[in-house]
Amino acid sequence: MKKRVISLLLACLMIFAVAGCSKSQSGKDNDSTPTVSKETEEKESKEPVTLNVWIMPNSGEPEKDFMDVIQPFLEENPNITVVPTVIDWGSAWTKVTTAATSGEAPDVTQLGTTWVAAVASMDALADLTPYYDEFGGAEAFLPATLPTTVIEGSDQRFAVPWFVDSRALYYRKDACEIAGVNPETDFATWDSFKEALKKLNGVEVDGKKMVALGMPGKNDWNVVHNFSWWIWGAGGDFVSDDLKTSTINSPEAFEGVKFYTELAIEGLMSMPSLEKNSAEIEALFNAGEFATIFSGGYFAKTIKDNAVKDPENSIVDKVGVAMIPEGPKGRHVFFGGSTLAVYKTTKHMDEAVKLIQFLTSKEAQIEYSKRHGNLPATKEAYEDPYIDQDPMLSVFKEQAKYGRAYPSIPGWAPSESLLQKGLSNVWDNVMGVNGPYDPERTKIELDAAAADATAVYQAN
Amino acid sequence: MKVEISREKVVSKKNKKTSRLIFEIRKNRFAYALVLPAFIAMLIIHFIPMVQGIYMSFLKLNQFTLNQFLKAPFVGLQNYYTVLFDKSSTLRSGFMDALRNTIIYALSVNILVLVIGMISALLVNRKFKFRGLARTLLLTPWVVPSYVVGMLWGFMWQQDTGIINRILVDWLHILPDKPFWLSGPNTLWAIIIPTVWRSTPFIMIMLLAGLQNIPEDYYEAAEIDGASSVQKFRHITLPLLRPIIAVNLLHGMITHIYSFNIVAMMFGHGAGFPGKWGDLLMTNINRNSFGIWQMGTGAAATIVVMIIVLSIVGIWYRVFREDLVVEE
Repeated sequence: MKKRVISLLLACLMIFAVAGCSKSQSGKDNDSTPTVSKETEEKESKEPVTLNVWIMPNSGEPEKDFMDVIQPFLEENPNITVVPTVIDWGSAWTKVTTAATSGEAPDVTQLGTTWVAAVASMDALADLTPYYDEFGGAEAFLPATLPTTVIEGSDQRFAVPWFVDSRALYYRKDACEIAGVNPETDFATWDSFKEALKKLNGVEVDGKKMVALGMPGKNDWNVVHNFSWWIWGAGGDFVSDDLKTSTINSPEAFEGVKFYTELAIEGLMSMPSLEKNSAEIEALFNAGEFATIFSGGYFAKTIKDNAVKDPENSIVDKVGVAMIPEGPKGRHVFFGGSTLAVYKTTKHMDEAVKLIQFLTSKEAQIEYSKRHGNLPATKEAYEDPYIDQDPMLSVFKEQAKYGRAYPSIPGWAPSESLLQKGLSNVWDNVMGVNGPYDPERTKIELDAAAADATAVYQAN
Repeated sequence: MKVEISREKVVSKKNKKTSRLIFEIRKNRFAYALVLPAFIAMLIIHFIPMVQGIYMSFLKLNQFTLNQFLKAPFVGLQNYYTVLFDKSSTLRSGFMDALRNTIIYALSVNILVLVIGMISALLVNRKFKFRGLARTLLLTPWVVPSYVVGMLWGFMWQQDTGIINRILVDWLHILPDKPFWLSGPNTLWAIIIPTVWRSTPFIMIMLLAGLQNIPEDYYEAAEIDGASSVQKFRHITLPLLRPIIAVNLLHGMITHIYSFNIVAMMFGHGAGFPGKWGDLLMTNINRNSFGIWQMGTGAAATIVVMIIVLSIVGIWYRVFREDLVVEE
């Protein structure tokens, strides 16, 4: 009998072990009494200070690249030591939250633009509004980056734009030439873009047949981003004006989703690519599978890097960049990227501000941009020849005025995974895995996604 | 008078019992001391977070109250109501899909793993050349970390370039067109098969150990009685392996109901939504708690799953009760 009891206990323990793991949060006690040190005294500034900084793997060698960029800052401020910690995007979400709740936070952290409102709403970030003058004032930054530094409806700035992830159209010049497409004009509007895709579809370059457009579908980080300019271009938006209801199922948004997804139905977009991720799609574009793809500024860097690594197979001279096509309700360019924020718990506010001031300087913006491939956030940096004179990046500069970010509300970041789920189901419909494609089903999926997202916005 | 005596008797019996217990503890003091560190570690790593988790399930713990952690507002059973009855909760949309998928997934993985594990254990239990090599090779899938399994199979299942469609369609011509494996109902296969691939070796080695414990004489005796190999398997091997099968069945059920890694990694390396036919309870709950910062409802949902699993353990215990008694 005793043995029986033991075996049953053992069984229970096994369950608890797994259940325990699956929901164990950092079990630290809450002692996050804010110790804002705005009034850090002057004399302290010369004492040795260690700044803990969290960054994401923005570049090839994240830690080294970051330290290289801030080298001049460290030389200028010998009393400041910067200790960077690279946290993976996948776990960053949890770590940033845990830091916000446990009080054991770094001084400065990188935050995705869509996270600022959410983390700020946890009362974890220091208000940086009083320090903006140190960064050259709000007008020093691209206008489209600024909304993501606040919680919509408030004017307190909790973050400083650091770099911009923006998307544009990459096309093969040789394919356009053979197909008779003029990249200057034919990618300008939705209709001309579609016509151009029709011409480009199946075009043979170097004995290889190309598909007009290659895009990742559902298995990707960018599912929602890749829909954004189509939804905006059709006059739709993600959230209602009162910020309480998801409008991803509005007739306009539906039009945008339909236009974009039906490119695959019409055979203009590669169907198998819809289960691949962005990195795979970019690799296939490099290998000459697609005539066009939408990608970010970083892809220009990938192409240039490949040209150095493998000059024979490089496509660097064959690729051009065009602006996002203009929809019936205007041209809207996706603007994401990252910001820098300071945790409230920091004891070195002045030094943190100094570091951010350096990181938003023209020199650091360009140097870091060269390493991670994304675009700078300050206007000044766009005047640098690195952007201005570059045939690919200058297009990003040109379209920056059409930049648009997601609504900066606390509920946005949580709702994104729900929107992604809904849009993934839309792709399932397009791929015909649950029966033939039916636009009505797209509408049903968008309704469901809107209901989910609205529940999040209203709970907040 | 009688009453008095019996009361005294009871008291002395009680005293006797306690003193015996103390004596037992004293006698085994050294053993207890050795177990103590592990006990404390288990307490800290498993038990305390578990109790916290249960407590969290009664709190309104979302992105605004997260910094209060355990001091977040107490809402009683509201999270459970949200999980079980609130039709508008995000957890509910897709929960039934996830539940259905988890049931199909856990059952089929368990059955397949046991059958294939048994067959391969029987095969490598025979004497043949390169037996050691065969055993090692059969064990390799088990060495691959589960998230790597998810990523690798994610590539293999791809519709156009994946090796599986190449074999099925281009080389063997079993199917007319290349199907999508990572979308639609096929997704269930796409998650079951890699899990079976990875879990079988463990079961195989457990069964193999069991097989080697069965004395040869049983089989010899059966042979003299003229038993066929099927009869030998049914009447000797299977009954003697029952305790091992029982334990592995339970372990497998628990592991696969709580399965996460393979499914999470297979769809866009952790980025994608596994879809209506690939989403499991754990991926669903993860998305709806960590993904949207609803830790309270997430904890409640996990507790609900835990209760389901506990009742499965109860059923299991009734079925295999006899096999768990070790005869002394």
